Amino acid sequence: MRWLLVLAAALLVVPMHLSLSSPLPLAEQAAVLWRGSAETLAEVTFLHGGAPRAVIALLAGAGLGLAGSVMQQVTRNPLVSPLTLGTSAGAWLALVIASVAAPALAASHGVWFAMTGAILSTGLVLAIAGRQGIGGLPVVLAGMAMTLLLQAVATVVVLTHDQYVRNLFIWQAGDLGQTDWRWVTWLAPQVAAGLVVVVLCKRPLTLMRLGAEAAAARGLALIPFLLVAVLAALWLTASVITAVGVIAFIGLLAPNLARLCGARSAAAELVTSLILGAVLLLATDALALYASRFTRDLVPSGASAALVGVPVLLWLTLRRLRAADHAPLSLPVGALRVSRLTWAALAVAAVALPLLALTVGRGPAGWSIGWPSDLVLGLRWPRVLTAAAAGAGMAVAGVILQRLLRNPLASPDIIGISSGASLALVATVVVLGGSIHEAGVPVALLGGLAALAVLLLLGRRQGHAPNAVALVGIALAALLDSLLQFALARGGDEAYMIIGWLAGSTFRASAGQGMALAAAVAAAAAATLLAHRWLTLMAAGEPFAAARGLAVGPARMLLLALGAMTAAAVTSVTGPIAFVGLIAPHMAVLLGARKVAAHVVLATVLGAVLLVASDWLGRTVFHPVQLPAGAVAAVVGGGYFIALLAGQGPLRGLRGLGRMASGWGNRAA
Amino acid sequence: MRVLLPALIAAATAVVAAVAVVAPAAPARAEVTVTDSRGSHTFAAPPQRVVALTWSLVEHLVELGVTPVGVADLEGYNTWVVHPPVPAGAVEVGLRQEPSLERIAELEPDVILASDDQIAFVPQLETIAPVLHYTAFSSEHDNEAVSRQHFREIARLLDREAVAEARLADLDAALAALRQRVQALYGDTPPTVTVVRFADEARVRVYGDNSMSSAALKALGLTSGIAVPRSRWGFALKPVQDLGAIGDGVLVYVEPLEKAEALLNTALWQAMPFVRGGRVAAMAPAWTYGGAVSVQYLAEGIVTALESLAAGHR
Repeated sequence: MRWLLVLAAALLVVPMHLSLSSPLPLAEQAAVLWRGSAETLAEVTFLHGGAPRAVIALLAGAGLGLAGSVMQQVTRNPLVSPLTLGTSAGAWLALVIASVAAPALAASHGVWFAMTGAILSTGLVLAIAGRQGIGGLPVVLAGMAMTLLLQAVATVVVLTHDQYVRNLFIWQAGDLGQTDWRWVTWLAPQVAAGLVVVVLCKRPLTLMRLGAEAAAARGLALIPFLLVAVLAALWLTASVITAVGVIAFIGLLAPNLARLCGARSAAAELVTSLILGAVLLLATDALALYASRFTRDLVPSGASAALVGVPVLLWLTLRRLRAADHAPLSLPVGALRVSRLTWAALAVAAVALPLLALTVGRGPAGWSIGWPSDLVLGLRWPRVLTAAAAGAGMAVAGVILQRLLRNPLASPDIIGISSGASLALVATVVVLGGSIHEAGVPVALLGGLAALAVLLLLGRRQGHAPNAVALVGIALAALLDSLLQFALARGGDEAYMIIGWLAGSTFRASAGQGMALAAAVAAAAAATLLAHRWLTLMAAGEPFAAARGLAVGPARMLLLALGAMTAAAVTSVTGPIAFVGLIAPHMAVLLGARKVAAHVVLATVLGAVLLVASDWLGRTVFHPVQLPAGAVAAVVGGGYFIALLAGQGPLRGLRGLGRMASGWGNRAA
Repeated sequence: MRVLLPALIAAATAVVAAVAVVAPAAPARAEVTVTDSRGSHTFAAPPQRVVALTWSLVEHLVELGVTPVGVADLEGYNTWVVHPPVPAGAVEVGLRQEPSLERIAELEPDVILASDDQIAFVPQLETIAPVLHYTAFSSEHDNEAVSRQHFREIARLLDREAVAEARLADLDAALAALRQRVQALYGDTPPTVTVVRFADEARVRVYGDNSMSSAALKALGLTSGIAVPRSRWGFALKPVQDLGAIGDGVLVYVEPLEKAEALLNTALWQAMPFVRGGRVAAMAPAWTYGGAVSVQYLAEGIVTALESLAAGHR
């Protein structure tokens, strides 16, 4: 019944979109379409501009909605989408690299690069998340991690080759503007082919809801079917990304809204998602068209989709995601306790690496080793200090969040604290103009706090389910991304300053800032050590902590605030530093840190050492071209992290799909 | 001789004394005070070794006949700006957003020139050498007029004021000559000329108020067919459809255009009034965010494009 309403909405949105994109009255538009030819300029811009734009919005939206529905049905996970699986980031990185390495080839065959990148990155994320993870939060967090890693690599390329990739930003921002029917005729068969595959999958998808045994009893081989369905969805997504650029959220929202509209059976969910996706994208594009009337520069559709999508996503979070996630991602655990050798090695590294960063550099005659002149020392030590403090700070924040949320993937960069701080700064620059470096520390702190407030607010309603926390992070990161893309698509050199800042650099930190940050981080680490009993109790479970006499609510609030403020302080000085907060705590566990105190100390030292080394590498490897420490850390740390996850069994994901299917039977029962 | 020698000695003493008295007020190598975005700075002598961290500053120096000892993203300059070419001897000091401070320090500069967003790391640069920071692009001022001010100010700093005035006079003469050529083409009623750079086949950057391209148009006595309100960099991103507003005017697009075939074959493009009327021309690659003299290179590009168009019609 409700999908009739959806159809009615579609009938309303189409004329709205058409009248926004063309000055021609609707009756004349119809006449032009009927004739199939155009005379005046207004008729031509309608026939080859406005009309194909509406059609491609419908096609792309339908494709994204359908792909999202297939992925969510196959994985039984309402959080799965191109946005959350790293698909978009993979396509983006592939195209950036191609544009720099072979500009001509990228201009003519960009499609294939984007497609390859999208399929590779998504495949990797699915494989990493594996059997248990694919149905829950882990696949989403792995997707976020993959997105962060791929974006960091892309940032390095963009920063060193800014002029080559300038025009790609528009594609990344996802604008639906058309100049003829070429992309429509390219995309239509892809979507049609996807539709055929999906129709063939309808029966198996329905059967699978009964469980693997029931499906097998009816002679259905699940594994090949699952593979085909997933590949078809990926192909659909990649074609849409290739044709119109990165448009997030539609694939995530449409299937969720479809279920909300009462689509129960597999077929109903597919059809409703398809229609909803088309209507949603058309509506957000109409919004972009309308907004463009009031702005100097055109507003990309992807940006308006994100602006609409974020609130809807948060609303959905409140409404639907009550249940706690019972499929935590397990990372490999290492030694049972920290050996003396480990402590000694770390102590040596903690002294040796800063010394190395201070004394080894590159000069006109190649590498130079020795105590630097006062001038050079004055240039180096604030960077080393800032890097150490920032690394340590992210590690402390990571330990707190991972212990508190009982999730090894929770870290300030993934759950949105860094994004919140960055978002506040980027928004200030985009809206008010000026330089991102003038916006300053208070704005970043405010942004971090706002992100925390949203987290706490949602957390209270959700019982702090990891799902909700992760979704806030994803929503904020997506919002940041869309704002950034709006700024980048517009052009202007301040955009590169923003990218440089978002990569996380110690370059601009003054001696005073470095010392202030070091003091703040030291205080945060000391506070965490003082509160180690709280963390120990809470990590064991909140009822347990309450039984032991801990005021769980206030303690959780205080600890979350401590972690968020530390991360925001670091972000305000250096820009967001990705992965250090994720992997330093984890490496500490791997080295045997089980108790909170040891965990904090070990992770802090590891974080500091990691970022000091990254800063030094960024400064020397391509001298005199410098790479931001945060980008180097993200590439190194992200690589380590992906290798760590993938190392647990490269084919785990594929094998997992089968086992997962048998798991559903149990869940349904 | 006996009279001459004491007289000579006396004269010499007098000269020395005079010099000694006058010297603090007027030394041989004049002290120079210049103003940048932050206030006034005094140099004991005109700086010899100059590091320039943005491309418009590099252009200013090269036009003054000064070879900077260090240039940020020299490779990029040679690829994208090209004119005027930087003489050999300048050293790469890294990217513009994050130059290598150690490489700059090695060059032992007398002054470091920075502009716009680089204000963020001026304090770090100042530990190496005196820094002059200029706000070259801003929506609050006329970029072109300010670029001339900066050109003169930098010339004064380097004791090259005569060179600067001569170069600006050349520039004005060249612009006047170019204006004559435009008049020869169109008489007193030139069409509107809209300068754009294609972002891809469906979107275009239209240069408008406060861009160096619009300064070049103004010097040529031309106006743009699409009004783009004043902004920091002087352009707006628009869908290709919006170019229809040009009507009877001429469209000049800056090369390189990577997807030329994809764009030039679309039905929409073919229907544009300037395409139907054969009033569209490509302009040789030129840096659209340069300094004072870049206006000349842009104006030359525009006029050459317009002339090729007229030649094609004949």
